[in-house]
Amino acid sequence: MATVTLSNVVKRFGAFTVVHGASMDIKDGEFVVFVGPSGCGKSTLLRMVAGLEDISGGDIAIGGKLVNDVEPAERGIAMVFQSYALYPHMSVEQNLSFGLRMTGNPKADTDRRVKRAAEILRISELMERRPKKLSGGQRQRVAIGRAIVREPQVFLFDEPLSNLDAELRVQMRVEISRLHKELGATMIYVTHDQTEAMTLADRIVVLRAGHIEQIGRPLDLYDNPDNLFVAGFVGSPKMNFIKAHIVGQDARGVVVELAGQDNARIVQPLTDVTPEVGSKVIVGVRPEHFGGAGEGDTDLVVAIDVIEHLGGTSFLYARTKNGEDVVIQRDAAKVPTTSEITVSIRKSYLFDEKGLRLR
Amino acid sequence: MRNRNATAYRFLTPYLLIFAIFWVWPIISSFIISFQATRTVPWRFAPSFNWGRLIGDPAFFNALKNTLLILVIQVPVMIALAMVMAVLLNSPLLKARGLYRFAFFAPVVVGEVAYSAVFRLMFSLDFGIVNKLLNSIGLPKIDWFSNVTPAMALIMIAVTWRWAGYNAIILLAGMQSIPEDVYEAATLDRVSKLKQFFYITLPLLKPVIVFCLVLSIIGTMQLFTEPFLITERGGPGGGTETLGLLLYRQGFRSLNFGYASAVAYTMAGLAIAITLLQLWLTREKQ
Ligand SMILES: Nc1ncnc2c1ncn2[C@@H]1O[C@H](COP(=O)(O)OP(=O)(O)O)[C@@H](O)[C@H]1O
Ligand SMILES: [Mg+2]
Repeated sequence: MATVTLSNVVKRFGAFTVVHGASMDIKDGEFVVFVGPSGCGKSTLLRMVAGLEDISGGDIAIGGKLVNDVEPAERGIAMVFQSYALYPHMSVEQNLSFGLRMTGNPKADTDRRVKRAAEILRISELMERRPKKLSGGQRQRVAIGRAIVREPQVFLFDEPLSNLDAELRVQMRVEISRLHKELGATMIYVTHDQTEAMTLADRIVVLRAGHIEQIGRPLDLYDNPDNLFVAGFVGSPKMNFIKAHIVGQDARGVVVELAGQDNARIVQPLTDVTPEVGSKVIVGVRPEHFGGAGEGDTDLVVAIDVIEHLGGTSFLYARTKNGEDVVIQRDAAKVPTTSEITVSIRKSYLFDEKGLRLR
Repeated sequence: MRNRNATAYRFLTPYLLIFAIFWVWPIISSFIISFQATRTVPWRFAPSFNWGRLIGDPAFFNALKNTLLILVIQVPVMIALAMVMAVLLNSPLLKARGLYRFAFFAPVVVGEVAYSAVFRLMFSLDFGIVNKLLNSIGLPKIDWFSNVTPAMALIMIAVTWRWAGYNAIILLAGMQSIPEDVYEAATLDRVSKLKQFFYITLPLLKPVIVFCLVLSIIGTMQLFTEPFLITERGGPGGGTETLGLLLYRQGFRSLNFGYASAVAYTMAGLAIAITLLQLWLTREKQ
């Protein structure tokens, strides 16, 4: 087990910079998830930690040891690939033991490790099969088993669940969580799926276009996003964004008027900054932070387009008077019957025009 | 449905006619001819006339020996060489990959006569560049055309030169279809590049290698151009005569069609037998 430290890591492909100075400290035994939209540089960052990709600038240390020029094989890491990357011509047993056999590990120890990995992942019955004869979920287990057998200090996962169907994905997610508890190893996990990130991570690193947008615990990101991107990326359905402008200041904080809605004003307590009167801002409201009429600062009248019933809760897809789309969460018991309802804003976030959080 | 099939076959008729006349009929016809004595007029049915002669003909066994000798030495050497070329072509370090790919493939499209003429010049006793090179590194000149062993070696070198690149391109295509992440996984598994080649590339390439072997075996069984043009009709003194040459000599020089047909069927039969053996030896074990 080991810490992983990235200091200002840069990756360029030719003239094209893919990772712009990423820094983070990953603690021993921590489960860190890199999340972000496709093409934002998650895999590249992970592959640099693995050593499969050279770094163009900065430093990477594993277990306190600088590994910039250390061969991938010597970094004490194991990686699970999105495509599983199993050896197609070998049985499951051979897939698991290949690396150890090739490096002259004593046979008894190899057998012990393979047996243990097979038990942890419940694939003992599949040992003689070729990958071709396995289901997606079974292949995934074998790929993880191959990583376990290495007994690495750090596990790296690159979108390991994205080729599985939804149900299996949930099941494997739980198993990976269990595995992390059982092995206690440091794990870095890449995904574009914010639900996966929220459920698995001790800490999440949100990436966009090669920049780290925010690093934090799942609920910190949810409750306290640093910017519009993180606010919109974390949480499902997304946070609603409503255009607004500053109209003044009162004892509780700045007064914000929502665009196109007469007299719809909310008050935001701000400690760090005081935006100028008249400056444009964006108000972010999570679906569950809409209350009934009179429960918050202001009431909004919205027209409902579609209602999605999920059982316990329902989501109302609606529009404000000036045509901004909003999604509102309601208990199933409180789903309105009229096509127009009045809602209040119980809690909101304020962002400036550049998307930075105002607080 | 049946109607549409009929239409399709009508469109295919011209091709099928030509195929029947120039492919199917000669194959059947030569089978029949191989059982006939064709040096009497009229030809008559005499099963032992050609086949009986074949079994006791020293010229046939000489040609068979030469053909198999070339097969056994040249084919494995060429495939091994093709594999080395494919690995080099596949190397990320290589610059101007397209140029090499073209260069390796070019021998196949060069005219046979031109290529043979160039080889005769290159290996000529007194002016050939090969002997000049041998001399320059202190080795004696070799008379490539007058002695059997060097002549056989020359045939093998020429055939290898012509077909190694072709096989390398096929092997390269096979190599490029192996996913990169399998090698990355092996690298992280601490498996060396050399072991990756022997334990991943070779086994995954096996079907392609078998394909190349089968093609080469069939090709070498029919070997004709090189011994005909380079060592002048199987010279010296029949020392490089192959089954293909024997067939040609019997059929088109001695006009002994019955015997030539028997040789042709022997060649085809041997090629099929060796190929089947090869497929059986390399079959996927479950
Ligand atoms: N070998 C490469 N050469 C050039 N560009 C690359 C290479 N690998 C990745 N990229 C680019 O880097 C960016 C990030 O890629 P990647 O890390 O795979 O994204 P993600 O895993 O977040 O989807 C993409 O724009 C991709 O096109
Ligand atoms: Mg990726």
